[in-house]
Amino acid sequence: MASELALEEIFSRYKADPFDYVDVHSVHTGRVTFKAAVEQEVVAPSGEWLQVPGTPLYEIDRERNPRLVGSQVNGIVAAVETQLDGSFVEAGVKLMTIKHPLKKKEIIENILKDVLFLFPAPESAKYFFAMDIQSRIDKKGARAVSVEPGDEVLTMSLMKRDTPIYYSGEGGVIYSVYFKPGVSVRQGEPLFGVCAPEKLPLIQKIITRVKAEWDSEH
Amino acid sequence: MAGDGANRPSRSELLHKLQRELEAPDLAVFGDTSPVGRYGAFVGSVIESHSHLPRAMDYARRHIAELALRGRSAASGTVILADRLSMGKGRFTRSWHAPPGGLWGCMIFADTLLPRWRGLMPLAAGVSCCQAVRERCGVEAVIRWVNDVLVEGKKLAGFLIEGYREAILGEEYALIGFGINVNNGEFAGELESSAVSLAELCGGPVDLAGLTTTFLAKLACNFGILLAEEELFLREGHFSGREGCHLLLQRWLALSDSIGKRVVYGFDVVTTPQYQAEVVGIDEYGGLQLRHGDGTLTTEYSGEIRYL
Repeated sequence: MASELALEEIFSRYKADPFDYVDVHSVHTGRVTFKAAVEQEVVAPSGEWLQVPGTPLYEIDRERNPRLVGSQVNGIVAAVETQLDGSFVEAGVKLMTIKHPLKKKEIIENILKDVLFLFPAPESAKYFFAMDIQSRIDKKGARAVSVEPGDEVLTMSLMKRDTPIYYSGEGGVIYSVYFKPGVSVRQGEPLFGVCAPEKLPLIQKIITRVKAEWDSEH
Repeated sequence: MAGDGANRPSRSELLHKLQRELEAPDLAVFGDTSPVGRYGAFVGSVIESHSHLPRAMDYARRHIAELALRGRSAASGTVILADRLSMGKGRFTRSWHAPPGGLWGCMIFADTLLPRWRGLMPLAAGVSCCQAVRERCGVEAVIRWVNDVLVEGKKLAGFLIEGYREAILGEEYALIGFGINVNNGEFAGELESSAVSLAELCGGPVDLAGLTTTFLAKLACNFGILLAEEELFLREGHFSGREGCHLLLQRWLALSDSIGKRVVYGFDVVTTPQYQAEVVGIDEYGGLQLRHGDGTLTTEYSGEIRYL
């Protein structure tokens, strides 16, 4: 359980620097050409179906197949690994960092992510809760639904291949859900956060305090 | 209940047919096609035939679990056929009408593909069926992304893949369910206008055993391609098709009529259509590339489409 001291440290950190620093990595191997520079403002995908791509960040060319990669967040480009411009890189190499201003809701979610057990997406795919879990959520709400290791908790849907996903992690209630049915989630991103029963008072305290101390939306 | 095995190919028939599949002109890019044959030969390692099952996928899960209780693994490539399914289902809560006369069943695949290429597995099922009905019956079957097989706009076959992790040994399997309307002529309710059988298209009964053999041999060849291409990519960093394209994708593109079509897309397109767009291609993982009205592009890796 996060101690009071650790929480104070977390609050102080967000007070002093209410930004996320989002590292951008190469999506696969290839030759990189940067399309954004330091201090440039970038925007996230938009449109009803998020079909309008974010600001172009870099192009990566593999086997004469160039791919333009856009920003997934709003913010300012804080750093660019300019020495890699025009070079061949492996997959997962850090290319730049975007400084993203946090809203009050995002600060709460970020702090919760430090406290909750986050269950990550095993593959980039679409997810929906297993039928039993979904019916319990429909009846009582997610925060009344407990999960234990080994429970079949989700179905992963990818290219008409449905795979049951079993929960592994600390038992508790499903406190935050980070995915929407039918919307793709990238591999490694959290699908939901689980809170052990004894941590619930702490979480309520976090939410109350952020709401009180961050008086604006930004 | 065990069936009479009338539509069950023998192992030797299947391997003989697989050998002939390896002579396909597009496989010449491999030079030596024997790895494709070796990788694909697991299909039909065991073939079970039943006169009736509620659902072949459920039977496969029970079969795997019962073997695990005895400390054994299910044979990869086990094919479970049933003359009739009483509780066949499609995606979501859709039922699948599976009376006698059709080719119904599933294959157990010990899932050894790397995660990045697993998305191509459903394409292999659709390609195999489309090739088999074209070859055996001469009908102009086409594939609608992901793997629905249509003739004259009506659904001839559908495939569903379900992952299954066995609880005792922790082994991962993919259960590849298939349903092909062969000699079953009557469709209930809404299916009457949207489904079609081979018998209807050919004007008479079709040799079900022959079609089963051809379909499984094509499935063996296409799974062989999946696994051989994975090996080639890991070794040399490219695939064997034109301009480094995955050969299975090349086959899918040659059989699909989805590219260029205006479609409605949805995760569950029947109950919740999401948007309309034009199909412009598929990417290296089989994802559907769509152009929206404002010119922007998106790629979908799940869900389904209907043509407008």
